[in-house]
This record gives sequence, structure tokens and C-alpha cells, in this order.
Amino acid sequence: MLRTHGLAELIMRMSLMISKRAAWPLVALLTALSLSTLFMSSHVAAESCQSLRELHGVDVVSIHCGGAPSATLDADGRLWVAFVQNKHVFVSRSDDNGQTYTAPVQVNAVAEDTEYNGENRPKIIVAESGEVLLSWTTKTSPNFTGEIRFTRSIDGGRTFEAPRTMNDDGLMTGHRFDSLFLTDSGKLYLTWIDKRDLDAAAARSETYPGAAIYYTVSDDLGATFTQNFRVSHNSCECCRIAMAPHGEDDIAILWRQIYNEEIRDHAIAVLGTDGEVTGLNRATVDDWVINACPHHGPSMVEASTEGEYHISWFSAGNLHSGIHYGRYNMANGAAEDIIKVDGTPGAGHPYLASFDGTLYIVWKGFNGIASQLQMMQSRDDGASWSQPETLFNTGRASDHPLLVSSEHGVFLSWSSEEFGYIFKELSHGHQ
Amino acid sequence: MGINKFLLAAVLTMVSTPLFSSQSVADNIQSFGTATFAELKAEFADQPFVVSLWSVDCLPCRVELEMLGELKKEDPSFPLLLISTDSIENREEAVYILEEYELETIESWMFADAFIERLRFSIDPAWHGELPRSYFYTADHTFTAHSGILTREKLMEFFPMEATGD
Repeated sequence: MLRTHGLAELIMRMSLMISKRAAWPLVALLTALSLSTLFMSSHVAAESCQSLRELHGVDVVSIHCGGAPSATLDADGRLWVAFVQNKHVFVSRSDDNGQTYTAPVQVNAVAEDTEYNGENRPKIIVAESGEVLLSWTTKTSPNFTGEIRFTRSIDGGRTFEAPRTMNDDGLMTGHRFDSLFLTDSGKLYLTWIDKRDLDAAAARSETYPGAAIYYTVSDDLGATFTQNFRVSHNSCECCRIAMAPHGEDDIAILWRQIYNEEIRDHAIAVLGTDGEVTGLNRATVDDWVINACPHHGPSMVEASTEGEYHISWFSAGNLHSGIHYGRYNMANGAAEDIIKVDGTPGAGHPYLASFDGTLYIVWKGFNGIASQLQMMQSRDDGASWSQPETLFNTGRASDHPLLVSSEHGVFLSWSSEEFGYIFKELSHGHQ
Repeated sequence: MGINKFLLAAVLTMVSTPLFSSQSVADNIQSFGTATFAELKAEFADQPFVVSLWSVDCLPCRVELEMLGELKKEDPSFPLLLISTDSIENREEAVYILEEYELETIESWMFADAFIERLRFSIDPAWHGELPRSYFYTADHTFTAHSGILTREKLMEFFPMEATGD
């Protein structure tokens, strides 16, 4: 078929492009951008970047100006947020649930082309013992190549170790869309989308739909990691991977997978600390026949019954079109209680979290003029849902919404041009 | 960011493009704002045209760009509206890619508003944002939409050459 032939040829040609143009202007850019940033501590809640820039100049480094922030709560309930600005990852902490933030700490001393967009953002987790763990993807060329980067702070976020590249193939190819997860037992998993097998297939003039999923594990909070392990061939190339615990040390992951070369639905698998992959199965049957980049990854949290997972995803398939929810049962390999959350074409990017017996889903709707940040809740493990509630409405640009949960509650983490960065408890008043 | 600002930006872009040729890259990329698609349709009143949407971060889009590059070489007058959904602030990267397919000198557009949902809606309220995405407009501006790589065969099927009046 012309399509697959074209892709294989393209991959080979791209390798040539990369070597031909190794000195792509990135290097100059990085050097130029690594200077003159103003660090500041913002002491006013919910500021917009625009107002900060008016006060402190356009170079102000702030959680409200940074790209694609993501958040976590530490064991003491303190909020940590990672974001990207001026080719650096920054970390800010808030001890008052997002009212005020500490001055951003620069994570990577040397500027790098850190990816930040809805599906690609720095990930941050703070271990119970205080280590601040971070991963992100650094772009290494304009041809979908990148490296998975990891670093950590062992002094409470004051300084960070030099970032390390976690993909161990040494290849200039695609390693992107990282996800980071720490089990309660202290196993740290890092997964990503990897193109080493695609390159190998292209070198043999064989077709290879999509990319592959790889991972590595650390049992010493990021001091050392295992070799890279492959989870699956033929993943979609451009969607975030969702992660949830499975038993004590294992995790379950959910990602967009290519079936029959042209259907982009979802797969689920359980990953172990020694590279064992079990339960690999199709998780959604949407029949989305598309040879394109949806840039639209799923979300997943553990359900109250062991082996069951709440999943939410986007598809424009023949069977399911729009944002959907379902509860996937590993024992029978199927999703139950599937509902269409929002079928409006502009709607997307669902995110799930649970707290105290209530399941929360947020997503972004769009009515043609403005974006609505929507929320629904279920108190019976996804069997029935509340009516959608609009939490925010904005006629300007906004990021994908994320949820953070801890023993303290469920919180919305969301960045928008109009409201700046918002960290807002959703569980309060919804008990 | 009101519509006025966009109109102003659009006007400034049109007026000042030649003045900014001091830019390190020679390209013909225009800003795509919320009113741009309506303006382009008005320019193509009673004429058929094809829209191709792509982004720098979309691998299948490269296959389509290669086909479009060859097509434009064969037929420079082919009525193609090539629109990148990347921010125009990243134009250097877009130009780098367009150069590979010899498309950097044709007039094309890049999203010029961070509120991409609204820009997508201005093109087609039914589009979910997947790329590549293409549209085939007839002379009376009824259209067919296609998601995924646009091959030459599909283009011929959706947009027979006689429709261009050639």
C-alpha cells in the first residue's frame, strides 16, 4: 500500500535529514535563550501572566507564564508544580494550596528544547521521603526525535542533579511522551513512546505501523534504573500514556495502540519491575480508522474492585465518537458501563481522579466561542454520573485540565491565559 | 484579544510582509486568525479549492506534504490552502520542514492565536483537531472533509482536476 511504503521511506529519508542538518539552529537558540531570566515569587493568587508581565517585564519566570504545568502533592500535602519556560524546567512549591508559590527553582542548568504542550509536559512526583522526581521529553530535531530525561532533588527541591537520558539505545530517534509513576511501595516507573523498532524495521525496508512503548524502573527513587523494556509494538506516535497502580509493585498503563495497521484504539497492560509485561489487551473498541495524529491520550485510575480501572478516552471512531468513560475489567478483558461523556467535536482531554469513594472526571468543552472546563462525578464506581457542571468558562487559550488526588482530596490543576495557573480543590463541598 | 486586533494583525501582515524579508528564512507564511478562513473563502468565491491542515509534530502530515510539494511543482496554480496548526511563533521550524518539500515559497498560513479551539472551529466546527485533515471545496463551496494522509489517489477522487477548470 502506498501509505505504509511512503512512511517507511520517509523514516529513512528523515535519518538522512537529521545527519545532513545536524547543526540545526536549535543550538544557537539554546545558547541565546539561556541568559537573562528574572526569577520571581508570586504572592497573589490566580494572577494572569499578562498582569505579571506588565509588572515585571516579559521575561518574568512564573508558574502563571510557564508552559504546560503539572502538579503533585507531597506527603505533607504541599503542592509542587513543574513547568517549562525559556528552555528550562522550573519547580515551584506552594504551602497554602496554590495561594502563594516559592520562587521557581531552575531544574536543568543547561538549556534544552524541553517539549511542552497538552500531551507533553514535565512530570513531577515527590516521594514520601522527600525526593523530588522529574521527567520530561527533550526534542533533538524537528523530525520527531527526542530523549527521555530524568532528574531529581535529594535536598528538598533546592538543587537538582544533572538530568540523565533514560532511553538506553543511543539512537537519534523518537523517544517522547514520557509518563512517570511511583507506587506506594516505592517503585518508580518511567514509560514513553519509542521509535527504535520503527527505525530498525525501516532499515530492513519493512513496514512498521506507529511506534513502540518502552519503560524503565527504579527501586531506589531514581538513583539507578533498569535497562529499557519493551511493552508493545505498534503504538500510536503522539498521545500521552496513562498509568495506575496494579498490586503492590506493578503498574497498569493505557495508551493509544494501532490495530490492523490503521485503527487507533487503546491497549492496556500490566508492567512489572523486572520487565515482565502481562495482561496486554485491547481496552477500547472504537474502530477509529485513521492514519493521523490524534494528539489525544487517555486517562486511568484504579477502581475500588481489584483488577478494575476507570478509563476515559477520546475517539472519533465508527463505534465511539467523542469523550468516553468505561470501567475496564482485567479479568474479562472488556470495558463496562461505557458512556459518552461529551460528543461535541471541540470537546476533549478528559482526566480522571478518585477520592473518598467519589470518581471525578474533568474535560474541556468548546461551544464555538469559549472553552468550558467541565466536571462530572460518580459515587457508584462509574455506574451513574452527576450532570456536567461548568467550573470555568474562558474565551481565551487554555491547557488540558489535570487532576491531582491525595489523601487530602481531589484538586484541579489547570493553566489558562485568562486565569493563570489554578489549583483548586474539587472535593470540598462535593462530599 | 479582540477581533479588531486580529484584523489589524492581518492587515499589518499583508502590508508589512515584504518589509520583514530581513528575517533569516525566506518564506511566504501568513498569520491565520479567527477571520482568516472566511476571508480566504471570499477570495475563492465561485472557485473550487483544497485545504490541507498539518503540524510540525505530525508524522503522517509529512507524507501528505511530500505529495503536495510534487503537486505544486507540476501545477503551481493548483488552488491549495496549506495551513499549519502550529503557532506562527514557531515559523522557523515550519519553514525547515516546508523546505524539504519545496513548499516554503508558496503562500501558506500558520495559527496565530493560542486559542486554537476557536481557530479550528472557524475552519470546521465538526473537526476534532486530528491531523492531517483536508477539505475539498467545490465552486459553490459545498465541501467534503478527510482525516488522515491525503494521497494523490484520494485527492483525485475528492477533487477531480476538471473541477479546477484546468
